[in-house]
Amino acid sequence: MNIRKKMAAGIASLLLVTLMAGCNSSNDGGGATDSGAQKSVTISYTIWDKNQQPAMEAIADAFTEQHPNIKVKVDAIPWGEYWTKMSAAAPAGMLPDVFWMHGGQFMKYAEGQFLEPITDKVQANEIDLNNYASNLVSIYTIDGQNYGIPKDFDTIGLAYNKELFDQANIPYPDDTWDYAKLAEVAKQLSQPDKGIYGFGAKLDTQAGYWNDMLANGGFILNDDMTKSGYDELASIEALKARYQMILDKASPTHQQMTDTDSVEMFKSGKLAMIFDGSWDNGNLASSEIIKGKYDWAPLPKGKVKRGNIINGIGNVMSTKGKHKDEAWQFLKFLGSKEAAEITAEMGAAIPAFNNTQDAWVKNNPDLNLQVFIDQAADATPYPSGSKSYPVWFSKEAEIMSQAWGGAISIEEGAKKVAEMMNQAIEDAK
Amino acid sequence: MHSKSRYIWAYMMIAPTLIGTLVFWSWPAVYSIYLSFLKSENFGLVNHWVGWANYERLFMDEEFWQNLRNTILYVVLFVPTTIILSTFFAVLLNAKIKGQAVYRVIYFLPQVTMAAAAAMVWVIIFAQDYGLLNSVLGTHIAWISDKRFAMYALVMVGVWGAIGFNMLLILAGLQGIPRTLYEAAEIDGAVGFRKFRSITLPLLTPTLFFTSIVLVIGATQIFDSIYLIIGKTNVALPAVRSLVYAYYQNSFIYYDQNYGAAIVNILLVINLVLTGIQFMLQKKWVIYD
Repeated sequence: MNIRKKMAAGIASLLLVTLMAGCNSSNDGGGATDSGAQKSVTISYTIWDKNQQPAMEAIADAFTEQHPNIKVKVDAIPWGEYWTKMSAAAPAGMLPDVFWMHGGQFMKYAEGQFLEPITDKVQANEIDLNNYASNLVSIYTIDGQNYGIPKDFDTIGLAYNKELFDQANIPYPDDTWDYAKLAEVAKQLSQPDKGIYGFGAKLDTQAGYWNDMLANGGFILNDDMTKSGYDELASIEALKARYQMILDKASPTHQQMTDTDSVEMFKSGKLAMIFDGSWDNGNLASSEIIKGKYDWAPLPKGKVKRGNIINGIGNVMSTKGKHKDEAWQFLKFLGSKEAAEITAEMGAAIPAFNNTQDAWVKNNPDLNLQVFIDQAADATPYPSGSKSYPVWFSKEAEIMSQAWGGAISIEEGAKKVAEMMNQAIEDAK
Repeated sequence: MHSKSRYIWAYMMIAPTLIGTLVFWSWPAVYSIYLSFLKSENFGLVNHWVGWANYERLFMDEEFWQNLRNTILYVVLFVPTTIILSTFFAVLLNAKIKGQAVYRVIYFLPQVTMAAAAAMVWVIIFAQDYGLLNSVLGTHIAWISDKRFAMYALVMVGVWGAIGFNMLLILAGLQGIPRTLYEAAEIDGAVGFRKFRSITLPLLTPTLFFTSIVLVIGATQIFDSIYLIIGKTNVALPAVRSLVYAYYQNSFIYYDQNYGAAIVNILLVINLVLTGIQFMLQKKWVIYD
């Protein structure tokens, strides 16, 4: 009995020690450092794009070189889980010190006071927001308060497989193309019996039909974000035109593109053309099959204009971080020209810092990446910036997949989306 | 005094499991009942009491009824198929055959396979253009994106994954049947199927009762294969969406935890009722010796 008791006490004290050690390590280096005491701290930086992780780590290393007492741990959480994890971390006060923010999610986090405003730092001239295009800065501004520093921007391009064009003896797409030409060539390039299609008319918003809708004179949300544009005639017409390419067998069916993602089809040389974002060039380039055999063209012109969605990621910091001073130093560095140059040179994304974009284009001299920069001027901002966005955006895909899969008509789908969006906007008021 | 210290000692021993159960099972279950009567804002930091409003919305929602029908259809297809096939294979593997151990391992393998990895393989098997299933059958069916077939594809995956473990349970049940009964039956002239029907099956009923309860509860909670194999932009999703998938969708995609909580609470009630019914019916078919 005695021995047992001793053992129990032993185990219990062992547990206690481990627990305390656990508490200790998480407290390690707690409290902001004074200018004198250079305590070594580690801050967390969380991103969602694994392709960009090497570049983000290179930036972190360059930062640590200048601030030897601050180490940065870069974590990538896939986009599909990113916001689920962040929405659990936010109320628990566990948000990363610094992390990527998306325009669509920004408002929820800023209004919930989970993001540290940086307005006073801007006013103290610690950072100059004039270094970035103003429409990128405004994504992360509410009621005159600045919360984020633009990291990059992205636009959409038309990726095409040169080999499939050469085989069919058809000239490559260029800036003279309109949607009719796209549909016509897509049909010519399709060989459904061989599993090769001219165009991937995928169910997609930002890199999909939103561009079509804008080009045709439709819209996604009206300017003051109070009404959906899905039920506008021009929008429906654009959606129908895209869907028609599936009916014409110029594109794989929605079922086929559910089995295999259309970008993957393009990467395996089964698609002659797709719309894709500038952020995805690294992904396309990673395919051995199409490496050196693909290039980019601007999106085709529509009835009204050349549609294009521009969006930008922002870097933000948490209000609940333990090392806010260090986090601010890092956030400031992320917004620096040096960080932008690393981003560009490593081909990670188009940096938001003015006049650093050329390095991104030159990083891949064989590809016409200039199209992404050129299209930015007339592009339409991503329709985020409203409280209802996270709700309607996730429901949109579910309704449209019914239309794309042929269960309901395109017109019916578009009208349902409009109704759902207007309801979500109403509920969020 | 003496017995009290023994109790404390016993509680300490079960503490890791008990605390885990309380924190990760009981508390969330109770909390989700509370959540279903609220309207939460700002990541759940601001809550308003709304009474039965979430349930009223649920009962008015045509999608909820469709999800309920889907879940019931899955249970009806999955549970009997799994029990019949598991029993069939257990009986086969209970016989003295060569390489018995090898077969037992093979049938048990799905149980130890990572669900996500297995699902990816099934997606390839079901693929319309290059899938194994279509090329074996000589068909061109969109197994997972045609609403007429998607449910059967899910049942197929579910049964494949469940046979191993249930076969093992039933095998244990089979081996608990005394050999003397079979010897007695043989003396009386019973052969083959007759032995199975009159001895094996009746004496197996307690095991079958247990497996059916566990299977029904598990089947009503189908989620992972829908999430991994069907996916959220699949046109067939409305035809297979289960209550738990709807819960996930509302809570974690639409950020409406309150509505999601209402859905799982309905599921909880359904499971309590189903299990209650099974316990009532057991008197009619389960034989305890």
